Amino acid sequence: MANSTAIKVTNLTHTVTSNTGNLTILKGINMEIQESESVAIVGSSGSGKSTLLGLLAGLDVNTSGDIFLYDQPFSSQNEETRALMRGQYVGFVFQSFHLLPSLQAIENVMLPAELKGDKDARKKAKELLDKVGLSHRLTHYPNQLSGGEQQRVAIARAFASQPKILFADEPTGNLDEENGNLIIKLLFDLNRSQGTTLVMVTHDNDLAKMCDRQLIMSAGHLTENKL
Amino acid sequence: MSFTFRLMLRDIRSGDLVTLLMALIISVSTVTSIGLFIDRLQLSFEQESANLLAADRLIRSDEGISNDWRVKAQDLGLQLAERTSFSTMMFANDALQLSQVSAVTDNYPLKGNFLVDDTLFGTGFAFNESPKTGEVWVSSRLASLLNIKIGDIVEVGDAEFSVAKYLVRDPGSSTSAFAISPRAVINLADLASTNVIIPGSRVRYSLLLAGARDELAQYEEWVTPQLKEGQRWRTPTQQGERIGDTIGRAESFLLLAGTLAVVMSGVAMALASARFVKRHLMQVAILKTLGATPKLLTKVFVQQLSVLFVAGALIGLAIGWGMQEIIASLLAGLMSTELPEPSISRLWLGASTGLVSMLVFCIPLMLRLIKISPLSVLQPNARIEQNTLFVYLIGFVGMYGLMCLYTNGFLLPSIMTVAILGISLLVAVIGWSIFKLGRSLTSGATSGWQIGLASLYRRLVPNLFQLLVFTLIIMLGLILVGVKSSLIADWQQQLPENAPNHYLFNVQSTQIDQINNETDNLNIERSDWYPMVRGRVTAVNETSVQELYPEERGEPELYERELNLTWSDTLGQGNELVSGDFNAEGLSVEQDVAKEANLSLGDELTINIGGNIVTLPITSIRTVDWGTMQPNFYLILPKSALQNYPANFVSSLFISEADAQPFYKTMSQFPTVSILNVGDVLKQIQTIIGQLSQAIQLVLFCILSAGALVLLASVRSTLEERLEEGALLRVLGARSALVRQALLIEFGALGLFSGLIAAIGAETCLYGLQVFVFNSEASFHPLLWLLGPLIGVCVISAIGIFASRTVLKVPPMLLLRGL
Ligand SMILES: Nc1ncnc2c1ncn2[C@@H]1O[C@H](COP(=O)(O)OP(=O)(O)OP(=O)(O)O)[C@@H](O)[C@H]1O
Ligand SMILES: [Mg+2]
Repeated sequence: MANSTAIKVTNLTHTVTSNTGNLTILKGINMEIQESESVAIVGSSGSGKSTLLGLLAGLDVNTSGDIFLYDQPFSSQNEETRALMRGQYVGFVFQSFHLLPSLQAIENVMLPAELKGDKDARKKAKELLDKVGLSHRLTHYPNQLSGGEQQRVAIARAFASQPKILFADEPTGNLDEENGNLIIKLLFDLNRSQGTTLVMVTHDNDLAKMCDRQLIMSAGHLTENKL
Repeated sequence: MSFTFRLMLRDIRSGDLVTLLMALIISVSTVTSIGLFIDRLQLSFEQESANLLAADRLIRSDEGISNDWRVKAQDLGLQLAERTSFSTMMFANDALQLSQVSAVTDNYPLKGNFLVDDTLFGTGFAFNESPKTGEVWVSSRLASLLNIKIGDIVEVGDAEFSVAKYLVRDPGSSTSAFAISPRAVINLADLASTNVIIPGSRVRYSLLLAGARDELAQYEEWVTPQLKEGQRWRTPTQQGERIGDTIGRAESFLLLAGTLAVVMSGVAMALASARFVKRHLMQVAILKTLGATPKLLTKVFVQQLSVLFVAGALIGLAIGWGMQEIIASLLAGLMSTELPEPSISRLWLGASTGLVSMLVFCIPLMLRLIKISPLSVLQPNARIEQNTLFVYLIGFVGMYGLMCLYTNGFLLPSIMTVAILGISLLVAVIGWSIFKLGRSLTSGATSGWQIGLASLYRRLVPNLFQLLVFTLIIMLGLILVGVKSSLIADWQQQLPENAPNHYLFNVQSTQIDQINNETDNLNIERSDWYPMVRGRVTAVNETSVQELYPEERGEPELYERELNLTWSDTLGQGNELVSGDFNAEGLSVEQDVAKEANLSLGDELTINIGGNIVTLPITSIRTVDWGTMQPNFYLILPKSALQNYPANFVSSLFISEADAQPFYKTMSQFPTVSILNVGDVLKQIQTIIGQLSQAIQLVLFCILSAGALVLLASVRSTLEERLEEGALLRVLGARSALVRQALLIEFGALGLFSGLIAAIGAETCLYGLQVFVFNSEASFHPLLWLLGPLIGVCVISAIGIFASRTVLKVPPMLLLRGL
């Protein structure tokens, strides 16, 4: 079988209520992302990139339209099912890492497997941390790690559940160039070696160009960049 | 090991669960220790009063005790003893003397001891036996009246007895006004041979019972319906009314203390839960992005809380038990008797307090926690809707319910709840205005003063909340201090050291001068002489009492028995006119009995005095302070109504231990005069009051310590922000002296204001408590207004600086990384 559709979005709109009235952030978005593709979403600050990513990952409920993951309705499910589907399909890497401060590096990485009741969680977490070059930092707490190291732990954690789709919201935003490049290399390596679909929000044009496709977010609409 | 427990272990490592556990332990242990301690005190009071009754329960009867009653008591496994008391003539040599004889079984008394001596007018030692057959114990007064000594023979009716001991006190009859003749005790087995009890003699039979509470209650239920006229069921606390009153108030105090402990533990629980939830918001959001379902999270938290509860309750109960053991052993030296063991069954109180405060404070917050949107990881402002009002409402209702459960009533909890609501409002208004003022006074942040005062307004809501917690805790402490000191002052005033402890009855007017001379020679203080005539109220507003109260039961005290009547031109010591005119030609009635009989000014009472009938209107109503131990009367008649009857006189005196012997010797010149010694009862009351005062101080200390812990927890709950801010300030170049100064100012100001508001609140609450709960006069407490702000400033600054000492020591870099 050739590429199957990992994500399908039809007529997605999202409106939020703020203290200044209703604000429509996403205004009818349609798109498809194939399995194993790497997609960059770019656009000016405040254009709604993070909002879209959050909806795609099922972290929030959209106002109208539909999102399908591997042809299964996703956005219309209740939180319980969405959480289960998240555990099954989705991994996430954040700009601000979001490691649990009370857990050691290895425990952070073990979490997704533990949530699934995997008995080999610790062994797998060790391998993953080894892959991201942190085998000497297993029992460190997040506040004992540098920003780059924390992001590597976050990536290891994102891949721990062997997700089919990895979302990354400005994964290098808080890092210097050298560390940023290391992170990017890791992401693409894992994308290639495991066939993971990669959806990444970034401000970095060079990084965007490394992806198979670039989507531009602007004024609530998404357009394909066909340069 | 399941996911829950692995998460839990990691949480314990981070200290967040520990805070929650600590709060739970504080809750459970304070409530447990105070509950258990109160229980022990209650048991101990019951025992002490039982000593005065010579039994746990007693049935008093004018006719012989029915055998069924004995059989039933034995069936229930109760101990039983009997006493038969009667007045009779005793003969020795050529003298004869009317005396009060008790015939008792071998195992009498069931509680307490006889006090006897081998020398005449000795002060006595406790003696654990009752007279053997053929023996008689006589009071020193009786011995001197009959001119007999140990080993001599006396006659009672047809039987002869040999004097074996001088009787100082018979535990069971020390307050019986019936027994004012000199006393003697014999064995019940000898009673029949005396042949003094013939049909129609005035005899009082008592069946004494002792045993476990449950069986006693069962027996009471069984026997009370069978009681006829002239038969009474007596419990220790009814015995001396004043003891009952004193203990009652002390119990109210301890109950109040316990209630406040419940409130404090609620506050501790709320604080810890809020902190826990705050620290876990992001964690839950992240877990959700990783695929944790709401169901799983609910399961995790429910399991965590269950484990937490079991651990906290067990540790709390153990600590609570230990604490009350420590309190009890500290008190042991001051107690005349050993405290009884606490009942294990009281433990449920502490455990259920922990459970309820966990349910009402933790669960609603946990539900909010579980509802957090996973979007928070992307958008920090996409938190959860703040259903705070609902959460606090649940907390309030829960606390109210707990307090009701604890006090078995609604009054105290209602007063406390209203007070807490009022204080919250006051704190909100005053706090907001003051913080705002502080803000406008300080622009720029260059000195510690300015930084400190400005930060009060900057973190307005958390600081207001903190102010409320400080205020509540200080207020609770002040209330306890206020109640404690007025309670103890009240007691001491009620029973001065030299309160009269003897009454002289049956004094003829011709003897008064002589007795006055003798007591003056001995330097004995004496009250005025009151003439006394016996009379009985037979009709009210021309309706006879029999018609008004066809049933014996429910008859007001005023009509129930023959009363001592007196006349007087002036209101006696301890009497206070409530309404009417004392000098009018009518009756003056004591307020409480008037209330009981539903009498008011103008009602007419018909009184039978030795066969003659007088009818008089009520012209005044008085209150009487029975604590003065002066002769006091329910009914005072106009002189004209009584002066033609033969009166005898009564007076009260204080006789110290040293005066006792010469006094009794002197009084043997007046064989017809009856002497009633209430010294034992008074001493008992004074001992109990002394113990209560000590106990109350200790309980107060315990609660205040728990309060300090809660304060510490409350400061710790805002520690993160303070740490962050302190570190930032230091990164920005502030010396740690400046940071410390700013913290000191901030906490000092919080402490000062909370102390002030707490004083306002405490004074208001004390008013309500004094008027509604303790039924005493309301009074003003200047001490609180000094103590409140002082404690506020000192304690809170100290706790604040102690808790945030890391802000000042740790390198700022480390702090910033950790946040
Ligand atoms: N819950 C909300 N309530 C109010 N406004 C919101 C909410 N969520 C998003 N917004 C607004 O919607 C707009 C889009 O936000 P979003 O975070 O998606 O932008 P972004 O493209 O990721 O920007 P950046 O590149 O700066 O991260 C912003 O203006 C933001 O303020
Ligand atoms: Mg964004």
